[in-house]
Amino acid sequence: MFDSASLPESQRRIALVDVNSFFASCERVFDPSLEGKPVVVLSNNDGCVVALSKEAKALGVKMGIPWFKISAWAPSVGLVAKSSNYELYGDLSSRVMSILHEFSAHVEVYSVDEAFLEVKGTPEELVALGHEIKAAIQNKLGLPVCVGIGRSKTQAKLANSGAKKSAGLNGVCNLDTFSPEHIDRIMEALPVDNIWGIARRLSKRLNSMGIHTIKDLRDADPVRIKKKFGVVVQRSLYELRGIDCIKLEGERLVKNQVMYSRSFATPVTTRKQMEEVLAVYAQRVSKRLRKQGSVAGALTCFAGTSRFANEPFHSPYRNAVFSVPTNDPVEILKAASSVLLECVEDGRKYVRAGIMLHDVSPKTSHQYLDLFTPVHESRQLGEVLDTVMEKHGAFSIGLGAAGFKSPRHWEMKREMLSLRATTRWDELATVHAK
Amino acid sequence: MAQPRTELVVRPLSGESLPAILAASTAVQAGFPSPAQDYFDGRVDLNTHLIKDVNSTFIVRVAGDSMKNAGISDGDEVIVDRALTPRDGDVVVAVLDGELTLKRLYIRSERVLLKAENPRFPDIAVDTLSELTIWGVVTRCLHHV
Repeated sequence: MFDSASLPESQRRIALVDVNSFFASCERVFDPSLEGKPVVVLSNNDGCVVALSKEAKALGVKMGIPWFKISAWAPSVGLVAKSSNYELYGDLSSRVMSILHEFSAHVEVYSVDEAFLEVKGTPEELVALGHEIKAAIQNKLGLPVCVGIGRSKTQAKLANSGAKKSAGLNGVCNLDTFSPEHIDRIMEALPVDNIWGIARRLSKRLNSMGIHTIKDLRDADPVRIKKKFGVVVQRSLYELRGIDCIKLEGERLVKNQVMYSRSFATPVTTRKQMEEVLAVYAQRVSKRLRKQGSVAGALTCFAGTSRFANEPFHSPYRNAVFSVPTNDPVEILKAASSVLLECVEDGRKYVRAGIMLHDVSPKTSHQYLDLFTPVHESRQLGEVLDTVMEKHGAFSIGLGAAGFKSPRHWEMKREMLSLRATTRWDELATVHAK
Repeated sequence: MAQPRTELVVRPLSGESLPAILAASTAVQAGFPSPAQDYFDGRVDLNTHLIKDVNSTFIVRVAGDSMKNAGISDGDEVIVDRALTPRDGDVVVAVLDGELTLKRLYIRSERVLLKAENPRFPDIAVDTLSELTIWGVVTRCLHHV
């Protein structure tokens, strides 16, 4: 464990560690033949490209492009596509985070493949620490990471992109090891929308004020920036100057929003089928709620036809509010189908649907409302469904329209799925003895 | 005098935990029942005893019988620790032609060998260890008996 307690507060820095091309790198862990090859990972239902290896980027493949548009071309350039193997990525992600906890007592998991760490030390010590972190994750998991170190999260992000882009740094960049003139040159060379949290739309407005580069923003008048763009952009400005304004967060206890949304393998074309879909999604989304011990106050329910079809794009989107916050699948289904089904039209080809729950809060904070609790919730119907499904499989029991039929034709398609080698005993990777 | 009855209590295994074996914390002398026998330290946990570092350890399944003489058969599972430094004599998972391959590693002063434990399979010889990609070191074999 890196002992930071004995070092002065002035040597406190933020490190951002992230895995290079995370999904593609995960695919290479058990399949070394993908090393050096262009790899893309596809979204739910093998729809769009959601992750690319650097070799795939070099071929000009763009994030978000529908797979069907490049699938015929792919073999000619040796491009390999994989379905999203969430089980594998999730397990490797948790291993990465657990290794990072060996290096700092304060780790903020920022996304599936990146985390901020509080670190302390001299500039040279921190570069050495960065290399140590990088070597640990490479040796233990075979995943490549980059480490950026700065005085604020925004500086750490900037340093991290430097570590990725300049090969000479060997994956670790500590801004403190650069002279002020050198940092000026780096910040002068980068457009302002390269800053963490500055969207492209915002950068256009900044441009019109004469702020084009990161250095321009850093050296701008903070008061003027706050007046024109608000406190968020002002905070970025201070962060670029090395003043740490965005504190490290621990893991949030209750997430404020819970969503279940999927693309269908084959289009759903009738109201009756859509009701089936909602019944299954209501069950699944409410299970997520119960798992984290929370209830939701409102929901958004949506469906959509394909943007790439010849027919006009149709995307109904409706909200509903519960009289009493709930995690009961029956209540969620009733609300979702009553608002959405009236805008769903028979004959249209819907390719996706989803239920998003808002106003999510811990269940215990609503105990005083017991009198108004729906009848089936007090019988803990949701918990019963969860238990039966865990024991007898996902299709053994269902709500109303979701029934027993299994598996339904609109369920997710993952035709290029690699082995779920770390979470399924029957899918362990093969090691050849020949 | 009536024989003391042996009570056999059957308890359902919980779904979350592996079936475990109760371990007595003291060695039991044959023929003399130890008064300490009734005190247990808790169940033996295979994860604790077979895995040193949960983050760097993976379980993979063997296909083929080139390691038979090392006690590793077709269909066995092996536990692999990727963080261990490969040493002379270790059974390792090496990357050969893009595949994970099981071999025994020999580090000699003049060269490095990957050998199958079956004379029918040829050795692979290189000058230095750095020419090989060693994926991990095998620590245990879960042999199907």
